[in-house]
Amino acid sequence: MRSEMKDTNEPVIKVHKLLKRYDTFTAVNEIQFDVHHGEVFGLLGPNGAGKTTTIEMIEGLRKPDGGHAVVGGYDTQKQLNKVKEVIGVQLQSTSLFELLTVKEIVVMYASFYAHSVPVDPLLESVNLKEKMSTHVKNLSGGQKQRLAIALALVNDPLVVFLDEPTTGLDPQARRSLWDIILRLKDQGKTIVLSTHYMDEAHILCDRICLMDQGNIIALDTPDALIKNLQSQNAIEFNLPHLHTLDEQQVKTVENELKSIPSVENVEHHKDKIVLFTDHLQVTLTSFIQYVETQKWEVHDLKTRTATLEDVFIQMTGKGLDE
Amino acid sequence: MRGYGQLVLAQFRLFLRNKQMLFWSLMFPIFLMTVIGFAFNGEESITFKGIIIDEDQSALSNQLSSLFLEEEVTNFALSEDKEQALTDLENGDISFVFVIPEQFESLIEQQDTENKPKTVLYYDQTNQMISNIAIPIIENNFVDQMSQEIASYEPVIQFEAQGVQALDLQYFDFLVPGIVAMMIMTNNLNGSAGQISSWRERGILRRMQSTTLHASSFISAQITARLVLNAFQVLIVILIGNLLFGVQVNGSWLLLLTFILLGTLTFMSIGFIIAGLAKNPESAGPISGFIAFPMLFLGGVFFPLDNMPEFLQPILETVPIAPLSTAMRQVMNVGAGLSDLWLPALYLVLWLLASFIVASLTFKWDDGVK
Repeated sequence: MRSEMKDTNEPVIKVHKLLKRYDTFTAVNEIQFDVHHGEVFGLLGPNGAGKTTTIEMIEGLRKPDGGHAVVGGYDTQKQLNKVKEVIGVQLQSTSLFELLTVKEIVVMYASFYAHSVPVDPLLESVNLKEKMSTHVKNLSGGQKQRLAIALALVNDPLVVFLDEPTTGLDPQARRSLWDIILRLKDQGKTIVLSTHYMDEAHILCDRICLMDQGNIIALDTPDALIKNLQSQNAIEFNLPHLHTLDEQQVKTVENELKSIPSVENVEHHKDKIVLFTDHLQVTLTSFIQYVETQKWEVHDLKTRTATLEDVFIQMTGKGLDE
Repeated sequence: MRGYGQLVLAQFRLFLRNKQMLFWSLMFPIFLMTVIGFAFNGEESITFKGIIIDEDQSALSNQLSSLFLEEEVTNFALSEDKEQALTDLENGDISFVFVIPEQFESLIEQQDTENKPKTVLYYDQTNQMISNIAIPIIENNFVDQMSQEIASYEPVIQFEAQGVQALDLQYFDFLVPGIVAMMIMTNNLNGSAGQISSWRERGILRRMQSTTLHASSFISAQITARLVLNAFQVLIVILIGNLLFGVQVNGSWLLLLTFILLGTLTFMSIGFIIAGLAKNPESAGPISGFIAFPMLFLGGVFFPLDNMPEFLQPILETVPIAPLSTAMRQVMNVGAGLSDLWLPALYLVLWLLASFIVASLTFKWDDGVK
């Protein structure tokens, strides 16, 4: 760890009233937060929430229209070169020279910095040692993302920014990337991660900043965010004929479901219905009876605990993928 | 200059590993050279058929016509039928009709400065090669030499020497420096514009911008790599021209390299401007073409500038490809030195300065999302 950051109580990143406007559209609306040493800080939100704009303003790649950000004690606008020394960046759309080998790319990026880590151990840490002499164009999507992470680590940064590192990857590649991120966390790296996958945010992040339309709608640990929900259990099922009903009929169904004991809230999307409840057992018993009186044909019935997605839905009235 | 060496190395690797690009960027000039070379250059050198009409039939006129007849490069024959000869010329069967008028000898002997004998050369105006290459040869070698022999006490050798040089000039010698200039233009103008705008669109530049790499290191590395690559390519093309077609480099290689350097930098800067203007790599291509194509045809690459409309010539002489091809030609063909070439050098330097300034003002690391 660098000498200037001995004081671990001081936040590594301080974001103060950051504002970004594109013409009349406000992409990021005077947001504020701190990121502490050694934590994985998640920016979670749907596409267009302002996650990337926020990250790139902190990295100094975009000029804010208001407010400021301080990284490792340096102002991103006034001391950009100092900031660049202490950050590692993985951009959302990573593109590298296709005809260079993995090792050549890493060595090249290392040469951009006054201070860099040895290449071989670095490649080993992202499981790319065997691919060292493979051309970038022959790497899989997951391998390319791991290389991007290696490049973000090449200068032994204080903070690593990972902008949607797993978007577009298959489940296995995503898990392999999660392992790498968790390993970095164990090593004490501070990581700022953006994602629109709630499971990913839940597994990786110490704290989550929930964003929507340029605003922070909640900021807490994943568990606390879920605990603050009115109801922490959910009953989920498919009703195949739901989409054939008209608006009035749907409203009636919704109201009837809401009158089942302990049901706090009802969500529906296409044929899927979710009931939120405080007392799973009570609700479930009454629900089964109700289904039988209605002679409904219910599919895929399951119960689960509430997720971050439910938090998001409750706070914004819409899903993360909308 | 952190990152400079690695970036130069990366550019070399990218270039050498892109086999297809490597192949075509070398093949194109060689192909062009070969096709045009064989088409225009079936024989060792250009030969012109002509007919001499000797209306005087004197000793002196005989002496002049025998000069023509002895020459190997020009293929002249004597005839007495002027009408027929002119018809042949109109039909394209021959390239010249050279007429020695009556009283040729007597007029010379009178040494009347007011009334000199006038020989007439009829030629095919539509044939540009003849008007540009052959007429000076005829003028220098035969007529000047003749008048020199008749009128002066100066040694003839001086003119012989000049004559030999002019005689050696084949279309090929004209062509290869032009092709080299064209190669420098397309490699750097189209090459930089395409590469930089594609790197920008793909976020490669943005990713580099987020490191402590300085723009100056990046640009110096680009310049270095392109200079070395261009020098090699030019060398290969000239060597092939030399081995296959006997193209000569009569002048200084160092001066040649200097002009390669000036040309590379100028066209790179213009390429950077295009990269700055183009919204994406797809539009960089057409914009480069829009700038490069007119220059190819008007800037003295394939056809001499003298063939262009006279009012356009002063303008065309200044477009950047023209001083480059002129200078390459002068150095390779004639062995001209820097003192002869200060004007093209000046034009190139001015272009370089202007385009460099514009390039540095318009250059963008990312796609404009500020």
